[in-house]
Amino acid sequence: MKKNLTRIVITLIFVLASIIYIYPTYKDYSLGKQLSSLTGNDSIDFVTNNAEKIRDARDGRIKLGLDLKGGMYVVLDVDVVKLLEDVAKTKDDPTFVKILEDLKVISETSDENILTIFKQKLAEKGLTLKNFYGEITDDESAIEKKLQDAIDNSIDRAISVVRNRVDRYGVAEPQIQKIGGKRIIVELPGVSNPDDVRKLLQGTAQLTFQLLKEGDAEAKILNDINKTLAKLKDSTGTNFSSSNLLMTDESKTKETITKVDTTKKKTDSKETAGQNKDQKKDVKKETDKTKKDTSKTKKDTLKTKKDTLKTKKDTTNLSDTTSESDTTKSQYNPFFELFDAELSQSAGGPVASSLNKEKIERILKMDAIKAILPSDVQIAWSQRVIEAKGDKFQVMYLLKKDAELTGKVVTDARATFDQQSTGRPIVEMEMNSEGTADWARITGANINKKCAIVLDGVVYSAPVIKNKITGGRSMIEGMANLEEAKLLAIVLQSGALPAPLKIIQERSVGPSLGEDSIRKGLTSSLLALIFVALFMIVYYRFGGSIADLALFINVLFVLGIMASFKATFTVPGIAGLILTLGMAVDTNVLIFERIREELLTGKPLKSALEIGYKKAFSAIIDSHLTSVITGIILYIYGTGPIKGFAVTLLAGICSNLFTAIVITHFIFDILLEKGKKLSFG
Amino acid sequence: MRIFHNTQIDFLGKRKLFYVVSLVFIVVGMIVLSINGIPRGIDFQGGTELQMRFEKDANSSDIRSIMDNAGLPGMEIKTMGDEKNLLLRTPIQGEGQTVADKIEGALKDNLKDNPFQVMRVDKVGPKIGKELTENALKAVIFSLFGILIYLSFRFQFVYSLGAVIALFHDVLITISAVAISDALIPGLRLELSQTMLAAFLTLIGFSVNDTVIIFDRIRENIKLFKNEDIEKVMNKSVNATLSRTIITSGTVFLTVLVLFLFGGEVLRDFSFTFGIGIITGTYSSVFVASSIVVDWKHFRLSKDKLTVAAKRR
Repeated sequence: MKKNLTRIVITLIFVLASIIYIYPTYKDYSLGKQLSSLTGNDSIDFVTNNAEKIRDARDGRIKLGLDLKGGMYVVLDVDVVKLLEDVAKTKDDPTFVKILEDLKVISETSDENILTIFKQKLAEKGLTLKNFYGEITDDESAIEKKLQDAIDNSIDRAISVVRNRVDRYGVAEPQIQKIGGKRIIVELPGVSNPDDVRKLLQGTAQLTFQLLKEGDAEAKILNDINKTLAKLKDSTGTNFSSSNLLMTDESKTKETITKVDTTKKKTDSKETAGQNKDQKKDVKKETDKTKKDTSKTKKDTLKTKKDTLKTKKDTTNLSDTTSESDTTKSQYNPFFELFDAELSQSAGGPVASSLNKEKIERILKMDAIKAILPSDVQIAWSQRVIEAKGDKFQVMYLLKKDAELTGKVVTDARATFDQQSTGRPIVEMEMNSEGTADWARITGANINKKCAIVLDGVVYSAPVIKNKITGGRSMIEGMANLEEAKLLAIVLQSGALPAPLKIIQERSVGPSLGEDSIRKGLTSSLLALIFVALFMIVYYRFGGSIADLALFINVLFVLGIMASFKATFTVPGIAGLILTLGMAVDTNVLIFERIREELLTGKPLKSALEIGYKKAFSAIIDSHLTSVITGIILYIYGTGPIKGFAVTLLAGICSNLFTAIVITHFIFDILLEKGKKLSFG
Repeated sequence: MRIFHNTQIDFLGKRKLFYVVSLVFIVVGMIVLSINGIPRGIDFQGGTELQMRFEKDANSSDIRSIMDNAGLPGMEIKTMGDEKNLLLRTPIQGEGQTVADKIEGALKDNLKDNPFQVMRVDKVGPKIGKELTENALKAVIFSLFGILIYLSFRFQFVYSLGAVIALFHDVLITISAVAISDALIPGLRLELSQTMLAAFLTLIGFSVNDTVIIFDRIRENIKLFKNEDIEKVMNKSVNATLSRTIITSGTVFLTVLVLFLFGGEVLRDFSFTFGIGIITGTYSSVFVASSIVVDWKHFRLSKDKLTVAAKRR
């Protein structure tokens, strides 16, 4: 009995765990159903009110593969040959052109290191890399290393560009992955417009330098949005979104407003504490780097901070006006309350959590808000994510829409350390002559203002311009670590060395086909399940019904395992599930046949049961382990949907072993102890 | 209820006959395969493929001529279930997505009265196709090898060898069966795809199950009936497990049949291939795997006898 007790407890734990893991999937489904029954504003309200619930359910649900959900799967190839052509000193040499053409053909079917092949091809013609690349003083291996670095960089850059764009496109659960030497896999579930995505992925990256709306201008715009939104919500009478959500947030805002006032003094006094690394970003001439400058930067930083505080003050002013005109509480700031006051203060710009960021983006898309936004303003978010308070925050920037300069003028960018003074990571940037002239004019006219480095609409850095930069060489400070500096350098290079991406494989599945597959898959699974279950009862009577229970528990376990490992369910995955059912039946049949044999020799039920299980055991283990071998190999060598099949199969094998050997066994044991007569047909 | 109870069938006595049956089937299959081949799906071939659903029945030859005019000659057009659902495929890949766009554009312009919906677009480059083929071969070979190693730990080596030869036989028979059915049944439209590859690997896993269970019984019975002839013991074991073999193969075949009939287009290749695999897997467990072991043991025995006889002399 004691043995059975542990088994029962373990089983219950597993069943419970499976239910807990499957629950978000059910929740997601029911929320989706509720949402689809709503229309227009109601559905927007629903999404806003239940944002957290929806997000939690979405995070925890069983992932559906592209074949079930619809969406796009794209394999991108970084055009390394084009890069080799771009950076060559002489591009017109006929032998060189010929070699590159050959190389292009090879690169289409091979995933080997292109540079190695390139070198071989050159050697065949009696040439070396030096003929086309590098300085005269460089030796061959140095040039090779440089080229390899350039290639590696271009791939990293391509990935960051792709990630950036995909994130901005707003796809839920995108997957971006580097495979092999120069390929990127992008999976975008639920995307229904492949055309947009194609353009998004293949377009050349746009690097721009844009000035920020700062100070009063920024405050006015934010205030206007807040006011309009407050009015808008008033007129709808429903407080726009969930009232309780607003209320909780209201109290938060009230708290932070007071905090803002107290921290204001604090920040004034502790300006030298150097807490806010981000503010120290500044562009300055490389030639003059004295300690005076550093202190000056800090003053600049402080100035921007004050500006933000001003915004906050306005916030309170605004609430006062609302209270005058209305009976509602004074701190009715539907827009400001979406920002985290504390973090905004330290970051020197409005900061919002990822959840609120979504809300803000929805607000900014509203017609009434669009109407009051000045036409020369572009709203962008920081690439950097601030992790605090158990959430992810990003800084919102109000950029001047017209770019001061494009990234094409950047000829080089490197991440290094500031060796002369601070020893901190910095990025050095060089521009061509055309850019240098413009840059000098721009920096000269905007000293002490911020200039954002924007790639595809995402702000990578917004350093303060410290002085007029005339030589074309700039230095950017204020990165927290070398990684950040490297990323910025990569971003800055994307203007100079675009990494052309080619779509070499693409699958897109329309949502209706996915629904079709789900429906057919479910129908056939259910049908198969019913057939098999009926057969088992007919053939094995009571034993069969226990086997059916095991079958059901098996399905539960497989789904639970899939959800807990965040595995993806695909159409072949459905096949895998059905196969699992087949195997579960197999195991039970194996055991039952053994029990029958033992019963035939005249053994009593109890010992027949024991011996049956015991004798079937070795066959069960052997057959399951061989299936595990094929499952693992399928997982290693399969791609996309096939991997999904392998995962389901492996999950099925594990749960099947457990249900057959442990669960059915103790059920029989308990029933026997209670003196039930068991029949095996 | 009981079926196949207490059977005394002499399976192994007829093994020579079944060797011939298997061989003939495989030879015929390979001939059909080399003449007709199994059409390679987009995964292995490379190219662009669109699955579309029209509102009204669409005429394949009209569409073909539209495609010819649009500069996409040799378009492969297949109906899927009915005339409304079509699959268009061309080996042309083109830069980016131009081919798919071209197809869509041309159809939109020329079939104004019959709007359509693009259900699925696949574009596969030649690089991918080559890799898939390599990976497919690797997967099959490594699986067989992995099973061989595992089974040699659990059984005598000749058993694991027999099992793996049986698996190899299953793969060949199934390929043959797919090629033959594809040639004989025009509406079947089987294609070498990633899902079919999955079916092959699954059938390897499933077929070895069957074999292992029979071997397991042989392993047990050899200890019980030490003095009996190996062929007799094996026959006894096959008969003892026959009921289990038929029932499990039957139920799994049933589920796969349901998949084939109701599982939709995507699972058809899989269920057809795996269905055949179940039949041949069951068959080969007895007539290939066990038979090879018997023949090997007989061979060793006669050799031993010869050496014993030689020594005596």
